Order: sequence, then C-alpha cells, then structure tokens
Amino acid sequence: MNKEIRQIAIYGKGGIGKSTTTQNLTAALAESGKKVMVVGCDPKADSTRLLLGTLAQRTVLDTLRETGEDVELDNIMRTGFGGIRCVESGGPEPGVGCAGRGIITSIGLLEHLGAYTKDLDYVFYDVLGDVVCGGFAMPIREGKAQEIYIVASGEMMALYAANNIAKGIAKFAQKGGVRLGGIICNSRNVDREKDLLRAFCAELGTQMIHFVPRDNLVQRAEINRKTVIEYKPNSQQADEYRQLAKAINENDYFIIPKPMSQERLEEILLEYGLMESLKDDYRI
Amino acid sequence: MSKINLSLPEVQIREIRINSITGYQGDAKELVIASREGLKDKERSFSQCLGCSTSKAACMTVLIQDAAVISHGPVGCASCLHEYTFTYRVNSPLRDVMQPTPRRIFSSNLKEKDTVYGGNMKLANSIREVYERTNANAIFVLTTCAAGIIGDDVEGVCQEAEDELGIPVIAIFCEGFKSKVWTTGFDAAYHGIARKLIQKPRKRRTDLINVINFWGSDVFSDWFAPFDVKPNYITPYSTVKGLKYASEAAATVQACSTLGGYLGAVLERDFGVPEIPAAPPYGIAQTDRWFRALGKILKKEEIAEKIIAEKKKKYLPKIENLRKKLKGKTAYVTAGAAHGHALLSVLGELGLKTCGAAIFHHDPIYDSRRLENDQLAQHVSDYGNVTNFNVCNKQEFELVNALNRIRPDILIARHGGMTLWGAKLGIPSLLIGDEHFAMGYEGLVQYGERLLEAIENDEFVKNLKKHAINPYSKWWLEQPPYYFLKGGGGK
Repeated sequence: MNKEIRQIAIYGKGGIGKSTTTQNLTAALAESGKKVMVVGCDPKADSTRLLLGTLAQRTVLDTLRETGEDVELDNIMRTGFGGIRCVESGGPEPGVGCAGRGIITSIGLLEHLGAYTKDLDYVFYDVLGDVVCGGFAMPIREGKAQEIYIVASGEMMALYAANNIAKGIAKFAQKGGVRLGGIICNSRNVDREKDLLRAFCAELGTQMIHFVPRDNLVQRAEINRKTVIEYKPNSQQADEYRQLAKAINENDYFIIPKPMSQERLEEILLEYGLMESLKDDYRI
Repeated sequence: MSKINLSLPEVQIREIRINSITGYQGDAKELVIASREGLKDKERSFSQCLGCSTSKAACMTVLIQDAAVISHGPVGCASCLHEYTFTYRVNSPLRDVMQPTPRRIFSSNLKEKDTVYGGNMKLANSIREVYERTNANAIFVLTTCAAGIIGDDVEGVCQEAEDELGIPVIAIFCEGFKSKVWTTGFDAAYHGIARKLIQKPRKRRTDLINVINFWGSDVFSDWFAPFDVKPNYITPYSTVKGLKYASEAAATVQACSTLGGYLGAVLERDFGVPEIPAAPPYGIAQTDRWFRALGKILKKEEIAEKIIAEKKKKYLPKIENLRKKLKGKTAYVTAGAAHGHALLSVLGELGLKTCGAAIFHHDPIYDSRRLENDQLAQHVSDYGNVTNFNVCNKQEFELVNALNRIRPDILIARHGGMTLWGAKLGIPSLLIGDEHFAMGYEGLVQYGERLLEAIENDEFVKNLKKHAINPYSKWWLEQPPYYFLKGGGGK
C-alpha cells in the first residue's frame, strides 16, 4: 500500500500547552495503533519529555556539536511511549547563534538519515510559539507538514497569537499545499471560552477540532513525566485526548484561513469575553 | 550504500556522503590503502585560502549555452562567477561554438534589510526580471550563506516561478558554509539538474554517450565515430534540451571522476544510463582499459580492439621517442582530484619521475562505489608510488615550501594562479586548461611535446627568478611543508 505520511505542525502562543497537547495527542494515536514520530522544533527541547519519561533527550544540535557531522539516526532518535519515535531539534544557547537555522539543519539531517520511513502514519512537528523567522517556517514548507493545528485558549493573547499564525499560514497556503486543520482549544476556563473559540474559528473559516477541558491531572502526569494517557489511562481527561486524536485522524476539513484585523478580533472578544452577570467574579 | 536521494532538494555534502578529505600528507600508495580501510581527515591549524562551493556550482551552470544563473545572496557572493564568462569565451572554439554569447549571470543582491525581512520576494522578482531580459531556457538559482542562514524558501520560490514561467527554475543548494570540500558545489549543481531538468527517457539511444567534463576540446567525436556514437557533453557548452535527454544515452563517461562522479551515479541509478567502469583514459594502460570498457558496454568489443591496435601503431613510436627525451626529468603536480591523478599517469607514461603532488582534496571512493574508477589507485598499480603526496586545498604556502625543497624540473598545474609559484622559483611551469589535451594515445604525444617545450625554454623563468621576491619568510621555508597539518608540530 502506498500511503502518504500525514505530516502535522502544531503552532500556538508560548506556554499555551503545545508540547503537552502534542504528546498526549500522539500518545492517544499510538495507543490506537498508529506509527508516529514527534519532532520537537523548540530550542528548549521539551517536546518529548512526557513520551520518553525522562528529562529532555540529547538533541540533534547537541549531537552535531559534540559528535561532529557523522551522525547516525540512533544517536538522535529515541523510542518513547507506544513506540513513538522522538527527536528534539534543540538549538544554540540562548542569546547566541541562530535557532531558525538550527531547525533547518535538524530537519535536513533527519531527511538525509532516512528518518521518514514508509511505515509511519504521522509525523508531528512541535514548533515554538510563533513563526518568527524563515527557520521556524521550515516544517510547513513544500513536502513537509501539510496540516497545521493551532493550540489556543480563550485568553486574549492566545487568540491574538493564533490570528498571527493564521496570517503566516495563509501566506504559505496561497503558494503551496499547507492547510489549517483546526484550532485545538486548551481550556484556561475563561468566560464563555467555548463560544468565544467557536466564534473565532468561524471568523477564520476553520473549526474548533476539540475542546480540551482544564484538569489538574495533566499537571500531575507532567510532574511524573508521563502523558495522561499513560499516567491515568482510564481518566476522563485521557478520553478527551483520545477524542482529539480521533477527530484529527478523521479530519477532512482543511482550509486556507482568513485572518482578521486587530479591530475585528477585539470586537469578538468584547462580544463573547464579557458577561455582565459575571462582572465581579474573576475566579477561574 | 550510495547516499543519493533525488526526492530531497539538497545534496548531501561530500565529507558525509563519500568521506572526502582535504588534509593528508604521506605517499600515494598509503593514501590508496587508507581509502579502502577508512580515511581520516587531518585539520590544519593555519589556512591561507579556500574555494567556495558556489563557484563550482556556477561552473556547471553558467557554461550551459542557453541558461541564466542567479546568485541569491549579497552581490559579493557573485563576484567569482564572472571568471566563467572568460572561460566560456576562450574555450568556445574547442567546441565549435563560434559565436559565444555573453553569459547571463545575475545577483538578487540581498542587503541588510533583506536579511531581516526575508529575500523570497526579491528572489521571485529577480527570476521574473531575468527571464524577461534573457528569455533563457532554464534559470538556475545558486544559494549563498546569507540566504541559507535566514532560511529563505528558495525551493518554494523556484517551483512557483517554474509554474508561472513555464521553464525549469532550478534551486541549487551550494551554501559555502556547509562543506569544506568545494567540489560539493559540482554535486549540488548536478543534483538540481537531475531533479528538475533531466527527464525520464522516452527511449534508449544507442548512438549517444554522455561525456561529463569541463571545457576540454572535442576529442570524443572522433573517438566515438567508429562505434557510430556521438558525445553529449555535460554540462559546459550543453543546451537545456541536450541535458533533458541525457537520460536516453547508452552510457556515461567522465573526463574527471571527481567532477562527474555524482551525476554519473545518479544517471545510472535513477535513469538507467550505465557509467563505464573505467577511470578516464590517461596513460596507455588506462586508455586500453577505457576503450575496452567502452567497447564492452556498447557490445562492440572488436571495434575497441581495432582502435587500440591502430592508434598504438601510430603513436607508440612517437611516445617512445618522447620518453627518451624526457627520461629522468622530475615533475611536481598541483591540481584537483582526480585530474591531478590523471596527470600523474601521463607523466609516468612519458618517463618522468614525479617527486611530489599537491592535490586539492581526496575522495576515497566515488558515488558509483566502483574501484575501477579510482584514478589514483590505477596510477599506483600502473606506474608505482608517488612520494611527497599532499592533499591540500590550494594552500599555496605549502606548495611554495615543497617546491623550494624539491626543485623539480617542471611544475604542472591545472588552476590559474598556481604556476607563478614555480616560475618565481625558476622552475618551468605548465598549465593546460584543456583537460582532454593529454587524453588517449595521441594526448600523450601532444602533452609530451608541450612538456619538452616548457622544460627546454626556461630562459624566462630563470630571469624571473633573479627579479622575483619571495613573499614567504626564511623561517617558513625552513619548516617542514606540512608544519601546520595536524601532527606537524605547528600550533
């Protein structure tokens, strides 16, 4: 059978939970029998910690620095939960060098070493906060990730970032095959979050592919260096991630987003984000 | 296993793909043995000069008759490209290109602001503009370090331009910082050509053989004629159309194994065109092997034998005569691999003693993985060892030091700017740009005559020596030539 590997890039504001969501989502896909590779594209190299159950693995760029050019795939790829192949691109120390070029180098190396084997169903790129420069757009170039999901919440800055990312995607999509597959809401329990996200998605022309509720179990699993799928497989939260995985696996709604103006974004926030009745209650 | 992957836009660099090196000191035989057993590169703690991959990629694209080339980067990165306008013009009579057209070389001229905002738009506009101005049949975009670091999507922009303009627009990834073996630039150019220009064969032709070379004279038309075959020269002086259907040829031969090794292997592996299993025909023994290999691949062995016999009858007495005159003369060779190895064989055949060589890099094996294509191994087995064999990427300070000690009767060079070091020391020096000049049996005669002429006419270099100032210090000339190579004592 000649199937295409589905290559997916996950973007979103820094700290929104991209890595946590990606790892739980891929763990759920692996649990359902899919063959998955996760490529962490964040210099912090924290995209595969929960899958491997250890602190950050040795990154591609550390390996290149220490071992030299002659790197084998085994030096940079480790197998984690459910047989998921984990790679961390890594990056230079903060404040020096060029992290974007680091991603170009890492992905180039993975291709040359033959990491993209035909038995894979999915490759996920967990990309840092925003598409800040050419290097961070590498995962969504032609021949790489064709699907993008943005992780967002109802918080204003998360939506602001998501809208900015949508601008980047629209630019790339007009030239090539990359499409937005949806917004993953990683809930922060803000006012009318689900409605707000739905309205935001409608404006972009996309869907909210899943609403992941906030649950402290995620935090506990993280402290134990595990995904929720592994830590508490029978929990409600594990099922939420399984539903997200199912939705992505079955997704056939891919679009070129229509990013909105700053004014329009604020209008939506005003419309959904303020509720007179909750005026004096800021608890979350 | 060969690491060729045409599905990726970028070629894998030589030091990783075939373990090429740029630092070695010893003799040729040891190097051949080490190449089989695992060759280790030696670092230099001092380096005087280097070449850049972009220049080699330019060499293989600028000289295509009907193509245009854009260097995508700061304008300075294109400054070395213009040497090929000269090359194209002066060598065109060798290929019957009687009215050489100006070369179409451009730069997207990336500036400070472009490195901040990205150069994609500028490149897209450049391609459009170049097409309007030149009406080229293909446009090559050579990348530079600046474009590589800021992560411009050169592949994407080229694809888009190709769709818009309807001609091949080919990204060549030859950023200088990626490889210290500058011949990676040849591979980068061929990789782009193989991915985007060469088409799947419509049919298999028995009357066409690809000749991967530089700008050497057209000796192959005559050599191939008895086999009813014509040469398809790749890539200098070729046309876009000729390159497209290189996939239909009966075989591929090389003028220099290090130049076309990658493309030869790609044509064989991805397009079904076999490369002949023989190093280029320099020296009698290798010329015999080469014609036999050619005859075998074309299933015309008897024609090959006939050619060998006829040519030997005609040229061997002349070669013998030259041997008598050249016997005992000493020579030093500085050239790139593998043409430098070929010149060693020519000298060996003519009876000279090679007392040293500085070869710009070394490939332990070529992409075809065939030992028969190893010209240095062939030289050692046919003519014996070469002492003072140095692999150095044009480090002229080492060359001057070695020449000053060895004082050969003649210095043989292949690259511009290298003969002057011999001449300043009063050593007759010879540079021949036509890489086919010494090929075959007749080449030995031609080359031998030139050697004699150069050695006998030494008045000029002797006078020059009297007036030349050696820029190197006495201290340096007293150090061993490989002082700065790892293990050589220099810090």
